[in-house]
This record gives sequence, C-alpha cells and structure tokens, in this order.
Amino acid sequence: MIVTVTLNPAIDEEYLVPEFRPGGWFRASKVQRTPGGKGINVSLVLKQLGLETAAMGFLAGFSGEYIRDVLRKAQITTNFLHVRGETRTNVYIVDEVGKIETGLAEPGPYISEDEIARFISNYERILKRTSLVVLGGSLPPGIPQDFYCELIRIARQRDIPTFIDAAGAPLLAALDEGPTYAKVDQRFMGSYEGVTLNSLDNLIEAVTRVHALGVEWVIASYRTYGNVFFTPEGIFLAEFDRKGIVSMFGSGESLVAGLILSGKEGMDTKERILFGMAAALENALHVEKGVRNRVAVEKLIPRISFEKLS
Amino acid sequence: MRICEVMDRDLTALSPDTTLSEAIEVLTRHRVSGIPVVDPSGRVLGFVSEKDIVKAALPGYFDYLQDPSFIPDYGQFQKRLKKIGQDPITKVMAKDVVSFSEEDSDFYVAITLIRNHLKRAPVVRDGILVGIVNRADLLERIMMEEEPPSFA
Repeated sequence: MIVTVTLNPAIDEEYLVPEFRPGGWFRASKVQRTPGGKGINVSLVLKQLGLETAAMGFLAGFSGEYIRDVLRKAQITTNFLHVRGETRTNVYIVDEVGKIETGLAEPGPYISEDEIARFISNYERILKRTSLVVLGGSLPPGIPQDFYCELIRIARQRDIPTFIDAAGAPLLAALDEGPTYAKVDQRFMGSYEGVTLNSLDNLIEAVTRVHALGVEWVIASYRTYGNVFFTPEGIFLAEFDRKGIVSMFGSGESLVAGLILSGKEGMDTKERILFGMAAALENALHVEKGVRNRVAVEKLIPRISFEKLS
Repeated sequence: MRICEVMDRDLTALSPDTTLSEAIEVLTRHRVSGIPVVDPSGRVLGFVSEKDIVKAALPGYFDYLQDPSFIPDYGQFQKRLKKIGQDPITKVMAKDVVSFSEEDSDFYVAITLIRNHLKRAPVVRDGILVGIVNRADLLERIMMEEEPPSFA
C-alpha cells in the first residue's frame, strides 16, 4: 500500500474572481471547497486513477472532521491523529481574466510532543504494510524543522522508498537524509546552497549536489508549464503549452500521483514523465482539483513536449 | 453487499501500553465510542469502548442496585476513574473481540452486531486491522438501498 503523510492538512477554498486586485470588494463567480494538503491531494488523485492509498497526519476541529469525512466517502484509508485546535483553511483567488492566482495560508494547529510520539508509533505500524511513502507540504507549529528527516530515516531502515514534495527549510533538511524522489518547487525555493535557481545550468548544478546525497529522482519546476526531471537515466525537460489552462492549482500533486502510478506499473522513465506531465495538464484544464480519470490523462500525452538534456 | 463497501477505512487504534486516561482522550477527540487495541504490526488484540471504561470505574456494589438513581452523585465514580486512569487499557479492554472480514455480507454483520449488543467492530484482513464497521452506517445504508422484491 502507498501511504501519504500530510502533517498540516488544509481545507482549500478556491474563489474564482474575475479581475481581482487588492483593496477592492469582489463577488466570487464560483467557490470550491476541497480537502487539501499535498499528501491528501496525492491520495485523492491516485484514487481517481484507481490506486488505493492510506492517508495520515494531523487533523483538528470542525475542518478536520470535514476532511476526514470527504476522504472516508472516497473510500481512502485514513489514520489521522485528531488534535486540539482547528485544521487550517487556505484561500486561493483565481483571476481567470488576468490569469493571476493569489494565495493565503494559515499556520495550522499546534502539535505537542506527545502527539508527535503518537504519530511516530502510528507511522511505524503502518509501514509494515507500505510500499512507498509520500511526504508532502508544510509543517504545523510544534513540529521540528527536520521532522521529514526522521520519517525518511524510519522508512529507509525498512527499505521503503520515499517521495518528498515540500519547500523551504523542511525540504532542505530532508534532502540530507536522501529521499528516493524529491520534488522541488522553485517558486518557494529561490536558491540552494548559494546557487540561484534562475537558469537551467544553475538548476543542474544544484541538483547534481542533491543527487550526491542519494536522491534518485529530482523534479524541479521550470518556467510556467514545465519540469526538469533528474533521473538515473539522464536529465529530461518536459513541458506543455498554455492552451485551455484554467488553473494550475493541484497540478503538482497530480504530477506526483502520475509518476507514482506509472512507476508502480513498471513504465520506463520517458513513459513515466509523459504520464505524470499529462496528469498535471489534465488537472490544469478545469477548476476542479485532481484529474477526471485515467483515460482523460492518457489522451493528453501527445501534448507533452519531451527533450533529453543530458 | 460486502462489508468493505460500507466500512470506514479508518485505522485509528491504541497500542496495548496506552493508559486509560489517554484512551479517554482519544475517544473524545475522535468522537467515537470504541477503538481497537492493536500490536505493533496492526494485529487486533482487543477492543476498548466507553462502556468498558464506565464499567471499570463504577463502584463494585453498582451491580446490586436496582436503579442508578440510588447513587447521590458521581463523586465515587470520579475517584475510581482517576485512580485507574494510569492503568493500561489491556486491563479493561474486551479481549474476545467480535471482528469481521471484508468479504462478510452486510446482513451477517448487522445480525452479529445486534446479537452482541455492539455499536462498532473492527474489520480485519489476516488478523490485521483494515477498517471499522459502525451500526449507524449500516442502518443508513440499509435505509438507502432499494427494497428487495417481495415474494408474497
């Protein structure tokens, strides 16, 4: 079974507001509320693609109950720890006219040491039946910045591969522990060890260092609709054009889900990248987060440009 | 219908060394009336419900009373509950657990729950916890289902 860890889940509230600008008063043309957080999003997309997962992490209050309820109705296995406080709500304002997205995030509930210990014991228990761990998103208050390191270490002791999709200090700390896959979002990470990630050459330089730490795959966002994939088979650039794109919201997690599913099915590196990128594109073609289904994803594979860089 | 289509795929469980006071905290925080107790690999060892905890904390003479209204207040109950608060849950949990497999029919599960006066019970695969079945969820499902054709 694949396990996704979301330490700081959220309710994602997406507002469609034409011509949004700060300081004004607007009426949303459409509002969408969904459970969110990177790990949970990956679980939901994998379910849409027909793969069973278990989701774990921390939930709190009314928002936490809502998230659990949606996951439950989607028949996703859950093992969340319920804590005091309230799971956060993240607000996204999508302006379809100006093609601009604005985001607002809350910090999330405080997690105590006892709760961290209880989480670790749940994590160790579920790993007995796990083939891959997906770690995603920010850390709530109370969780040490190097917590992903510990989770990766525990998984590695049991020979279980890990996929991390995070940003900032928690990601940098985690890279030292050598996760199997790491997705790096440049928007949240301007530089790595003094190297500014503004050009392809710099990106390659930074990632080469990460590779040396034992990370097999690094996926780094490149330009608006592209990603550079550093794999054991070489470095590849895959992109899609902007035709029909409504919102990139959730596309990163659809890419992660696509790479996981294709890997599980034994596809080769190129097929995996194409499938993952097609899942990201399918996600971007509608306001609803996630993908419609596998057939819709496969239909988009011809729209992905693929290039071997080295 | 198979019970895996109705069950809640939630793996919330307690380890055998959990104290009673921790168990109460988990029950309230998760808003459930009972939770399975599992070993480090997820194998179900027992089931602890609020009913078991209440029973453990009630004074010994309670069984002899015809009517609980004879008890003036919950002072004694509270004293006993606090006293056993640090005990491991293995002391109060039901060890003879009624559990189901994913392939069991909803009807069989419903009948078994009623016969054993249970609200919740674990669903296991090779002894390992994979979900929980709730009486209320079953009732909801039965209510929503189409009526079977009558042979009268």
